[in-house]
Amino acid sequence: MAEELRIGVFVCECGINIAGTVDCDGLTEWAKTLPDVVFAIKNRYTCAEPGQQEIKQYIKEENLNRVVVASCTPRMHEPTFRRCCADAGLNPYLFEMANIREQCSWVHSDRKQATQKAKDIVKIAVAKARLLESQKELEVPVTQAALVVGGGIAGIQSSLDLADAGYQVWLVEKEPTIGGLMSYINKTFPTMD
Amino acid sequence: MMDVGRHPKINLLAYSEIEEITGYIGNFHVKVRKKARYVDEKACTACDECVKVCPVVMPDEHQLGLSTRKAIYMPFAQAVPASYLINMEDCLGNNPIACDKCAEVCDPKCIDFDQQDEFVEFDVGVAIVATGMYVCDPTILDEYRYTKYENVITSWEFEILTGPGYVTKGELLRPTDRKPPKNIAFIQCVGSRSEKRGNPYCSNICCMNTVKDTLFLKEHHPEIDCSVFYMDIRSFGKGYEELYKRSKAVGVKYIRGIPGDIVEDPKTKNLIVTVENTTTGKIEKHEFEMVVLSIGVIPRPETEQIQRALTLSKAPCGFLMETHYQLDPIDSPTGGVFLAGCCESPKDIKSSVIQASGAASRAETLLTTGKVKVEAITSTIIPDMCKACGICADACPYGSITVDRKAKTPAVVVEAACKGCGTCGAECRFDAIEMKHFTDRQIMAMIDAMFEEKPEEKICIFACNWCSYGGADLAGLSRMQYPPNGRIIRTMCSGRVDEKFIWHAFKKGAPVVLVSGCHFADCHYINANRWTQKRIEGMWNKLERKGIRPKRLQLEWISAAEAVKWTKVMHAVEDLRKTVTKEEIEETKKILSDKKKG
Amino acid sequence: MAEEVTFKCLRCGYEFKGTYDRKVPEERECPKCGSNSIRPLPKKKEK
Repeated sequence: MAEELRIGVFVCECGINIAGTVDCDGLTEWAKTLPDVVFAIKNRYTCAEPGQQEIKQYIKEENLNRVVVASCTPRMHEPTFRRCCADAGLNPYLFEMANIREQCSWVHSDRKQATQKAKDIVKIAVAKARLLESQKELEVPVTQAALVVGGGIAGIQSSLDLADAGYQVWLVEKEPTIGGLMSYINKTFPTMD
Repeated sequence: MMDVGRHPKINLLAYSEIEEITGYIGNFHVKVRKKARYVDEKACTACDECVKVCPVVMPDEHQLGLSTRKAIYMPFAQAVPASYLINMEDCLGNNPIACDKCAEVCDPKCIDFDQQDEFVEFDVGVAIVATGMYVCDPTILDEYRYTKYENVITSWEFEILTGPGYVTKGELLRPTDRKPPKNIAFIQCVGSRSEKRGNPYCSNICCMNTVKDTLFLKEHHPEIDCSVFYMDIRSFGKGYEELYKRSKAVGVKYIRGIPGDIVEDPKTKNLIVTVENTTTGKIEKHEFEMVVLSIGVIPRPETEQIQRALTLSKAPCGFLMETHYQLDPIDSPTGGVFLAGCCESPKDIKSSVIQASGAASRAETLLTTGKVKVEAITSTIIPDMCKACGICADACPYGSITVDRKAKTPAVVVEAACKGCGTCGAECRFDAIEMKHFTDRQIMAMIDAMFEEKPEEKICIFACNWCSYGGADLAGLSRMQYPPNGRIIRTMCSGRVDEKFIWHAFKKGAPVVLVSGCHFADCHYINANRWTQKRIEGMWNKLERKGIRPKRLQLEWISAAEAVKWTKVMHAVEDLRKTVTKEEIEETKKILSDKKKG
Repeated sequence: MAEEVTFKCLRCGYEFKGTYDRKVPEERECPKCGSNSIRPLPKKKEK
């Protein structure tokens, strides 16, 4: 960890979704005062193409090695921004998100209080970002065979589909014969055959 | 069925049980016990000579005991594998001196009384669970006196009694006098849709099954009078409503109301059914020669075995849980394991086939890709710190950690099997586990940042990624308003919330700490949130012993759909925060820095 | 090893009796206010 931390904060207005309640200019300026933050900028829509381009551009120009985006929930755009970082050559796990929309601007109406909370949210995200580490997704091979448990109509269908596709299938059935409940039935609806 | 027996790519292990499954997505090792049939299934020619000479007659399970079979038998004519088996409990040949008639007549010499259970082991990359369903026990509704009156049967028995394999060749006869019934009643929802007895859910198939049964009867015996007692007829599928209408058109009477009682006339053995007709609002009595209980369905009891072997989750109804109700209805929570058919929920044949093909397709995606990326957010053991106590292995919902307690060697994580809930890290008392991307240091630093200024105004909230954080997001999406004092730290699972995070928050001046996770049934890590609850319960006691009000630590289960609950909880914790004075916070800080170091 | 205990809701203070088994965790909810902060009170002395 000899590397010098260079964190970039990208504040999203989300049109008026965030900017309507949170003072995004103030937030951006304030973010610059946080430890190891070397760059902060505001964008109208960070998730849109220009917004993403901006992240990629500044990762390179400002030599950023950690990225914090203050916008919506990570459950929505974390994958988007991770990809964006990866495109710019930054490990996607060196990215952190600050949710100032779903959990701030949308649920509070007092501009002062909401802005204060947004600052805290960004501060907490930066605190985490300072300690982020690169991660590698492990890749494992898939054994070319399938287990099917149960030889009723579902197990039979799955087995045949897989076997017809050329895969080895192990079909395990508890009873002495396959067929399951289907084998008890003599007529079926709605065709009555 | 025949295709399965013949397919060169299918290894059929019938009369077999899963003993053990180890491994993880892409790499499962399976051990199967193949029970002894005492007949070489490959050599058997299904000539039936053995059955002819077998002197032992037993009830036939495949006919629900309504017919008989021999001790050596084939479950039914089209069975696959097409081979006999001997039920050793019935067979006299355990001692060949007593009887070995079947072996004598067997031309290919495939009967072997000394055959043993065999173990078969193999590796697979994916697994499809299709363990199916079973029927409810009709005796739970004792007012229908199923065990007492012979002419009260279940819909499943009806299936056998009218089947071509039955002695009557499909001719329905009344059990008491062996005559065709003049009239017959079907009672719906037996064991279904009841909070009190049986199951609360709708069994999905029984309405249409009854419609089918009535039509079957009417086709062959238009003179039989059929009545159906029901709550609603659920004929929702393609062609189903049409079939229901056809049944009404041929004269089947549908009476809205579930009977409260059945009494037998001792002379005629007819059944007097008492029902409140909810259309007319009157109590009515009807007399029938036979009554069919349309019984609901339950998951197959043996499902539990496979559930444990593959660490699957069960929904409150007992059926196996899918990853996401709408968007991921085939994947199980365990990577590389898919669900097909009625083990997931009661369904008709068509839906089972659809889901089965879906499961095969999901499995093929993995097989064809040939490799799979596994979660980067996993736990790592720091061997120097590990005392091999084994609590991490106990806590891991996926069995991905192994510890040799005796040898005292450090724990080992199979990263590919780890789903990243972080419960092991929270439970480890020696800080010997690091949770990637959610490290202790990272979370402690977040708490530090949170309470740097005006700690008395802030509520420290831990929210799990899947449910509670989602609930908070939905509250935002729905523009619900609540006090702005909460500060959220997201963890993948509430199981990650280490005691020391909570202590640290209190030490930094937190007036209130809230830990929130998924409801028990929704936990995305099988049961990791049970550990959360245990931990919090322990902390309440510790807080009390230290003289800190336990209620300052709150626990809530909030699903991703419960925006209203999230909002309510935010108000509640804010109300609670207001009761915590600066003096109380200072005192807590003092207590914690005096008694607990670090 | 289920035992009879008093549960206390740590949100509204409502107390109620129920069975508690440390080994079999169950989701609990306050019948009054709906909170899940339900504390099984320790057996010995109750304050």
